[in-house]
Amino acid sequence: MMVIQLDEVVISGLTKNFGDLCAVDHIELNVPKGSIYGLLGPNGAGKSTTIRLLCTLLKPNDGSATVGGFDIVESPVEVREITGVLPEEGNHTLYQTLSAYDNLDYFARLYDVPEDKISKRIEELLTFMDLWERKDDPAGELSTGNRQRLALCRALLHEPQVVLLDEPTAALDPVAAKRVRELILSLSEKYNQTFFVNSHNLAEVQRMCDRIAIIDEGKILLSGGTQELRQRLQATQNFRIRVVEKLEKAGSIAESMDFVSSVKREADSIIVTIDDPIGNNSTLMQSLLSQGVKIIEFAEEETTLEDLYLDVIKGGAK
Amino acid sequence: MALYKSMLVAKTDLRMALKVSYVKYGLIGIAALGPIMMIAIVGFMVLADPLYAVFFLPSLSALMSPMLGMMAIMPAALISANALVGEREQNTLEPLLNTPLTDRELLMGKLLSSFIPSFGLLLGSILVTEIATIIILLSVGAPIVLVPGLPGLFLLLTAGPTMIIAIVSVMILISGKVKRVYEAYQTSGASILIFMIPMMLPIFTLEGSGAVDMNSVWVTNIITFLIALILAAVTWALAIRRFNRDTMISM
Ligand SMILES: Nc1ncnc2c1ncn2[C@@H]1O[C@H](COP(=O)(O)OP(=O)(O)OP(=O)(O)O)[C@@H](O)[C@H]1O
Ligand SMILES: [Mg+2]
Repeated sequence: MMVIQLDEVVISGLTKNFGDLCAVDHIELNVPKGSIYGLLGPNGAGKSTTIRLLCTLLKPNDGSATVGGFDIVESPVEVREITGVLPEEGNHTLYQTLSAYDNLDYFARLYDVPEDKISKRIEELLTFMDLWERKDDPAGELSTGNRQRLALCRALLHEPQVVLLDEPTAALDPVAAKRVRELILSLSEKYNQTFFVNSHNLAEVQRMCDRIAIIDEGKILLSGGTQELRQRLQATQNFRIRVVEKLEKAGSIAESMDFVSSVKREADSIIVTIDDPIGNNSTLMQSLLSQGVKIIEFAEEETTLEDLYLDVIKGGAK
Repeated sequence: MALYKSMLVAKTDLRMALKVSYVKYGLIGIAALGPIMMIAIVGFMVLADPLYAVFFLPSLSALMSPMLGMMAIMPAALISANALVGEREQNTLEPLLNTPLTDRELLMGKLLSSFIPSFGLLLGSILVTEIATIIILLSVGAPIVLVPGLPGLFLLLTAGPTMIIAIVSVMILISGKVKRVYEAYQTSGASILIFMIPMMLPIFTLEGSGAVDMNSVWVTNIITFLIALILAAVTWALAIRRFNRDTMISM
């Protein structure tokens, strides 16, 4: 039987130690071809180390990974050929005294972009990133955000099959961040490029990525499709019930319901987590009203990945 | 093809190095200093006593030629410190290591960025010194003596380039360990002391007349070259074998 490899990046048991510290601890991840994969985690979780392992900068202590079918230890040059990388703090990784154009020109040649395509490609990318007018300025004289965009251009120069981005929008203003997200989305759609994106920006990941993994202390705590994870969240939902008085009473009524899994008290409201809200919300509301609680507001609390994230990270810390 | 990539790296490194003003003026200064000193001494001696000068110049040349060698390998230390430790210091090494460059292409690039200008400066300073000496001697109607003389030329054209390779190799070896450009520069700069051997040893053979024994000059220069050759071979081999992307970016 022929096995068709649909995953562009396959990570199995990948481990990296720095002395006694296990920065990446036997992680398992599969990144499907053409997907935008978000690796989320707090500071020091091991996100950058994972990217550095994938781009063959670091050698794993254990486990293995393939990028586009190439093993990161056995075929590092092939891996680098098909990968574009935006390193952490990419805006600090440019040749400050070289012009924006020359920074890209140098790397285009190092990445074997055909001579006759180099200038066209650079113009295309710089124009897209609104940098074409600054092409002759030394990179060191560009603003942080512009340098970040330039570093992004550098990662995309050779139309890499796999793009590894370490916090791509960290230094960008909201407008620029949005453009970058849109660029990533359109590239993955048009050219089926695979993106692996590190971030601690949940909203961004939620908007852009179709798959997500959460990493903390070098371990993958959770991974799956963004939709799937959100649905998992929607099975139970949080509601804010704001009342005029009898806050305590409202709290105990809610607690007595078996479909309420938690009750949190705030100054003028209680926040309740309800299993199967469609079936149960009216029951709760009726009991509150029948016992004289005056409800001003009964509203869904927005459940985002943040809740899941905080939940998982807190759980991991325990 | 591989050499094309290395040349590309070398060209960019050199371009970057020349944008650092202390490197740029350092290179010009160092390159000029050797020939200026040699020519000044030759000129002074010839003007003072042309006949004695003609007799004494070969010995003087034997003792002073190594200085041109020293002066020519200092640029190699300057440029390679910038190209290796400097790139790391400025965080530009990581993207470079992410390119498909192989270790060999990268290291060869770093070697060439130092070798080409340093060896060029060495050849230039030899040529300038020879021509200036000939002009000075001709102007007073004295017979022509080569400064640097044949043993000196041998030393400079063999041990010179060899030591440039050794210095860059040492730089590659220490680049994973030192954090600042000047530390790297100081450490590898110590290698120029090799040229103290041909500068000092023949002095012990000074004869009553004030001339050195040319045979011992030849022997010393050949020994110096052999030491340089061993040093370069060992350090370059070590540099290639020990080079490790891991340590280049770890702090
Ligand atoms: N080169 C290194 N040498 C020693 N320790 C390192 C090195 N690189 C990373 N570490 C350690 O490994 C752990 C993971 O670091 P990593 O940079 O991968 O985290 P991260 O998830 O990218 O964090 P952040 O969000 O802050 O960028 C940290 O504890 C860090 O201190
Ligand atoms: Mg990081």
